[in-house]
Amino acid sequence: MRECKIVSKKFEIENAHTLAVAKKHGAYASLEKLKEYSPLEIINIIQESKLRGKGGGGASAAEKWALMPQTGDKPSFLVVNCDESEPGTFKDRQIISKDPHLLLEGILLTCYAIKAKHAYIYIRGEYFQFQKILQAAIDEAYAEGLLTECDITIHRGAGAYICGEKSALLESMEGKRGHPRLKPKQKEPEWFFNNPALVNNVETIASVPFIVQNGAEVYKAFGTKQSPGTLLFAMSGHVERPGVYEAEFGTSMMEYINHFGGGIKNGKKLKAVIPGGVSCGVLTAKECENLTLDYEALRHIGSSLGTGGMIIMDEDTDMIEALKNILEFYHEESCGQCTPCREGTGWSDKLVAKILDKRGTKEDIDKLLEIADTMDGKTICVFAPSVSIVIVSFISKFRDEFEAALCVK
Amino acid sequence: MREMIDIIVDSKTYKAQNGSLLIDLLIREKIKVPYFCYHESLGADGNCRMCMVEIEGQKRPQIACDTLIKPNMQVRSNSENICKVRTDILELELINHPVDCPTCDQAGECSLQDFYMDYGLHNTKITIQEKVKHAKHVDLGSNVMLDQERCVLCARCTRFTDKITHTHELGIIGRGDEAKVSTMPGRKLDNPYAMNVVDLCPVGALTSKDFRFHQRVWFLQTSNSVCHGCAKGCNIYIDHNKMKYQDDVIYRFRPRRNDAVNGFFICDEGRLSYKDLQENRQESILLYEEETQENKALQELKNLIENYKEKITLIVDANLFTDEIEALVAFAKSISATLYSPLEIYKDENFKDDMLKSANRAANYKTIENLNINTTLPTKNALVINFNHPLDFEADVQINFTTHKRGKNRLTFPIAAFSENAGHLTNEDSIMQECQKAVFKNNPAPTIVEWLQKVRS
Repeated sequence: MRECKIVSKKFEIENAHTLAVAKKHGAYASLEKLKEYSPLEIINIIQESKLRGKGGGGASAAEKWALMPQTGDKPSFLVVNCDESEPGTFKDRQIISKDPHLLLEGILLTCYAIKAKHAYIYIRGEYFQFQKILQAAIDEAYAEGLLTECDITIHRGAGAYICGEKSALLESMEGKRGHPRLKPKQKEPEWFFNNPALVNNVETIASVPFIVQNGAEVYKAFGTKQSPGTLLFAMSGHVERPGVYEAEFGTSMMEYINHFGGGIKNGKKLKAVIPGGVSCGVLTAKECENLTLDYEALRHIGSSLGTGGMIIMDEDTDMIEALKNILEFYHEESCGQCTPCREGTGWSDKLVAKILDKRGTKEDIDKLLEIADTMDGKTICVFAPSVSIVIVSFISKFRDEFEAALCVK
Repeated sequence: MREMIDIIVDSKTYKAQNGSLLIDLLIREKIKVPYFCYHESLGADGNCRMCMVEIEGQKRPQIACDTLIKPNMQVRSNSENICKVRTDILELELINHPVDCPTCDQAGECSLQDFYMDYGLHNTKITIQEKVKHAKHVDLGSNVMLDQERCVLCARCTRFTDKITHTHELGIIGRGDEAKVSTMPGRKLDNPYAMNVVDLCPVGALTSKDFRFHQRVWFLQTSNSVCHGCAKGCNIYIDHNKMKYQDDVIYRFRPRRNDAVNGFFICDEGRLSYKDLQENRQESILLYEEETQENKALQELKNLIENYKEKITLIVDANLFTDEIEALVAFAKSISATLYSPLEIYKDENFKDDMLKSANRAANYKTIENLNINTTLPTKNALVINFNHPLDFEADVQINFTTHKRGKNRLTFPIAAFSENAGHLTNEDSIMQECQKAVFKNNPAPTIVEWLQKVRS
């Protein structure tokens, strides 16, 4: 397996979160390139590199950047999404705790490209200790005079999962309830207090310095044609060495699990994998056999790559309990705006609880699938459709387990 | 003005403005579409997901409240698939609803009930018993009671306080199925338009403390009228009912939409002014404070008019209908009386706001101005015949035609209030409006026009 450390380059260097150490290892070197390139040229380089958003959706980053107005009397804003709340995903926190200056460097480059004078980092409230490291890095950068062109402010979230959705995040930053906004009718930037704003994931921004410094071609040499570059894939669950390990797109999933994770814990057999945070459909061990880790391959088998945070489940895992665990999370976290999600998450959670309690009937399984159908594609944001995918994938792939748990009538 | 284009809904062609909201067309053309959260005054919020329609070329059903009309659009509002989607979403809406319709004040005018009749699953598939419990009797203030369990979280009420009154008292707290409407911490719902949230609420979550449990809505008769609280002339519905063996009683005023005058709303003071029409009413004819016969009183009146010839002052109240004021102008002329309408007491700068409330509290003062009726009264008068003006005047003799009980005078004649009579008003913006006769009393007091006929005969 080819080693590729683009974002995680300084992760293992001691005290790389401090400016002195970070600088010694090349931090802020890419800023030199700004003397060469105009803002539009930076956007072109990102476009060339085919960098894809790493917050889960995998949309083209440059396409979003290009929506930002280069002229106009309204100030532009960059908002870095560090509301990392997806169960199974814990990559962004590695960046902000191990190499925060990489993020700051990326922010400076991005702000230059979109002509923003102020960047906000929206960080989940639970990341208190990481936020302290990040704030210290920002303070150091200010003291060093690195932030003359643009200000960076950390905004702490109050603990709602939905605030990771970019429009809910902006609502939250505006001091309102974190409710996703209705989708715009045409392609346009996001709006922060009616000013154009770009919202990008931490890792996306942290990938920018490498691309600007080394050029798009070097970045594209990693990964696949359609999913170029690398991702901070992560593993949790039943593996020997859970953690975050950067790998290029297109890496074989099983190879990744065995190479970095040291295989399934205690030599057990693999039963299932949730590939990229719990919002992605669950995969059986068989489906994982020849699977590569890229957006296209995962989409092809009806799941998605998401954030690349894999949850590994061994042969002893109770899939009903696993589904209950996930639905409990969704039940708790649905923002409650749209009817199908507000009521559907609660109802499906209660139905799975009933099955888990050995009180379920066959009708309950059918009803779960019906609720999943109602939640799919009928809400403002993709929260409910994700729940729908999770329910359908668990039941369709492990139906015998659900049926075996029904109460006999 | 945007261009008008043709769009097809359920194989029928309609004219609509390019780029306007699809749901507005569906509502205007009375094409059945269920919705909770959309309201023409509040705009789209897109949270209830009930107004789903199919649009040719779109894979998934779309909500009509967030769909802009485009050329060549083809919409299906009643296909099998759409009806199923609506049924499915409605089923979810009901899973935690208490279904306490028998004791709910909204029953009969509840959107949830109506949509259930259209799209409901009449055999429930809900197999879990426990529902999410919330508070059922929350006094929000301003006569508004909240039942959090019945709420469908459409956010019309919170959007009203955010977008219309800008007072921000209401918000939604909690997430998922624990979400509920509440007042902000330490606050009460207290703004002069608060009770409009009761009309806005599509279900029985917000009910009027003033109206609740007094009458089932299906017993109510509704008449169109105009509020007499100030010169704005807000359009209202008078909801009243004459129960068996009882008198016709008004139970509530509700705002009636008129985009040229009041839009969708009325102020709470105007809304509650119906009470005044039923309290302290003058019902009998009085001569020196003693009940008397109509003919005896009329004779006394005629004698007084004869005796005080050329020295009669007629006072006309600026809340009377234009029809009545004009009749009084003619009457004054016929008996050579001078007509006055003192307006000073109707000035109330404290009442005025920048929404609907006018500083002029006389509903028809514009007509007084239009007819050039004198508004300053001489300090000393001989005979005053007062047609419902609230003041008493310096005079040798005062005769009152009055809706309400008042101080001692020589003669007192009861008259019908505006709800018991039909007529016209001209508001401060010179818009003439009509009030229907709403209330039919068992023993109705004559109207002013009827009294004048009696006097002349």
